[in-house]
Amino acid sequence: MGKSDTEEVAKDKLRLMKCKFNPLSRCDGSVMYSQGATVVIAAVMGPIEVKTQSLSIECSYLECNYRPKAGLPQVKERIREAAIRDVLELALLSEIYPRSKMSVQIQELEDRGSIDACALNAACLSMLIGGLPLKYSFAAVHCIINEEGEFIVDPELSETVHQQASFTFAFDSVDGNLLLVQTKGSFKIAQFNDIECICRAASADIFAFYRSNIGKYHGRSDDVLSVTSKEATMEM
Amino acid sequence: MFMNANLFEPGKSKPERVFVQSAAKQNTRFDGRKTSEFRDVKLNFGADWGTVTVSMGDTMVLAQVSYDIGTPTSARPNEGTLHLNVDIKGVSYLDEAQATYDQRSLTLNSLLERTFRSSRCLDLESLCIAVEQHVWCVRVDINVLNHDGNLYDASTIATLAALMHFRRPDVSYIDDQIRTYSERERELMPLLFLHYPVSVTYCVYKSTPQPLVDPTLLEENAADSIIVLSFNSYQELCTLNAGGTAPTNVRTIMQCAHSAARRSKALVQFVRKALELDMEKRQQSKHVAGLIDLLDGSLSKFSFKRLMEQEQPMEVDAVQPSQASRAESEQKPEKMTIEEQSQAGQKPAVKDDSSWLPEGNDVTQEQQNTEQIVKENAAKNTKATKSKPNRGKNKAGKKQAAAKKQNQSDSEEEATHII
Repeated sequence: MGKSDTEEVAKDKLRLMKCKFNPLSRCDGSVMYSQGATVVIAAVMGPIEVKTQSLSIECSYLECNYRPKAGLPQVKERIREAAIRDVLELALLSEIYPRSKMSVQIQELEDRGSIDACALNAACLSMLIGGLPLKYSFAAVHCIINEEGEFIVDPELSETVHQQASFTFAFDSVDGNLLLVQTKGSFKIAQFNDIECICRAASADIFAFYRSNIGKYHGRSDDVLSVTSKEATMEM
Repeated sequence: MFMNANLFEPGKSKPERVFVQSAAKQNTRFDGRKTSEFRDVKLNFGADWGTVTVSMGDTMVLAQVSYDIGTPTSARPNEGTLHLNVDIKGVSYLDEAQATYDQRSLTLNSLLERTFRSSRCLDLESLCIAVEQHVWCVRVDINVLNHDGNLYDASTIATLAALMHFRRPDVSYIDDQIRTYSERERELMPLLFLHYPVSVTYCVYKSTPQPLVDPTLLEENAADSIIVLSFNSYQELCTLNAGGTAPTNVRTIMQCAHSAARRSKALVQFVRKALELDMEKRQQSKHVAGLIDLLDGSLSKFSFKRLMEQEQPMEVDAVQPSQASRAESEQKPEKMTIEEQSQAGQKPAVKDDSSWLPEGNDVTQEQQNTEQIVKENAAKNTKATKSKPNRGKNKAGKKQAAAKKQNQSDSEEEATHII
């Protein structure tokens, strides 16, 4: 079992996803994740010691940081952090480790579109590989309405130049609930509903990607996808 | 998983220190390297201009150059500005990195400032658009991704490679109006350099007189003194940072300096070669791969061992180095892999400075050393005077050979006192 794993899964709608587990040596879990040409590295550490002011006897404290490639972190990075933190707080099972801290750090390596969605997916993967307690895993999808009114899922940076509206949705893996909705621009509610359905369908691909890559990393040789579908049919 | 905020970097506890000291005494290192052997340096360029990641072993560093048009400082109204920032917070999870005035972060930042800003390696006058009004402000951000020792070298190589890789837009200043041309209108322009500095780090332990080069995190934290030397490609000293608790003989520092000078020259050549290859790749394919290459399981194309393997036979044959390296590097992607690996394994001695003596190993080490040092100093003096008219002003920041002699005599006196 080597340290790095990549799986290239061809998608109809999402860009090609690749990931490499544990490229960093000092943290509990880390992943270098890419969607198309956007590359992001996420690392988690936890449960670790927390400062007294953030100490809570009921749950663990979540620290989340997003760092851009160029320049010091500014307000737009804080907005991204807030969005990522909202989703993480929903997904994290924080009651298991009170009086401790879970730290998630995300570093942007290359931004070629859908950086919010990419960062969230990388965060989820790093928490899974780092063994942090999660209620469910989550996946984020980014979609835009371009000037012709077409919906483009997971666009390249060049395609977003004259967009009318942009949406980022995050879904959970168990019930498919919406965890995060971020929109920018003008759109009709009907378009919003359509795009939500499209993104939900795309998120299934992301969950399959998670499952197969983590299975491969832990040395599971058989096809994880076919096994799970078999189990599902057997239950029925 | 630790429940302690001081995440326990390796090498901070007493038993670890004692162990590393006794291992250094026996000339043994944990990863099997010799005391004068370097780790392989791998470069990866991004799709944006001025993006580079450098990895030396497990140490990984990301550098990004960004630019802006701003006003110059009143002290130097005809020069652009260069701003460097190293960030060790974030993904690297280092001890005490969250503190505002973390010693390590301050030292790193100060070292980079001295190596690149104080030594005036960039031609800042060329970054001026309109005197006293508009200049280019170049900013280099270095994010440490993983720290396994030797952040100084990784950061300097990353900064140099990023600055050399960077392209800024062309600009014209007509009738008090600045007009910036986009990439489609006019080609982007690279930055101009006066010289190219990189650094080499040595760790000194009290138990042994031989310093270790390119330390891992364990060796660095257990070290008593750390010596950082920055040389440029002309083998001129740009920065010397020596500090710690181990009393060091000045002869040791001189020996370190000699091998560091050679290593720096080789490193700058390596960066140049990697940049050439990256340019070729960009011209060949419309779609630039960028940092996606980091995720590929295959070996990095721009690694020091690979690109510098050809240098050794070429120096012997005295062929035109640039032409030969071009030819070699074009054939490179095809033939490389397995042969390279075995070659690299079989002849490390060719690249390594395993002998601490500068060329001319003979009877007694001291005699030879002092003779060599005198010769080298004389050579450096003549070289300095020859190149003075070419280079002009910028000698103030660099230590002269005469000054070295001065230091030698001073510290010898002090050294004898301590011993």
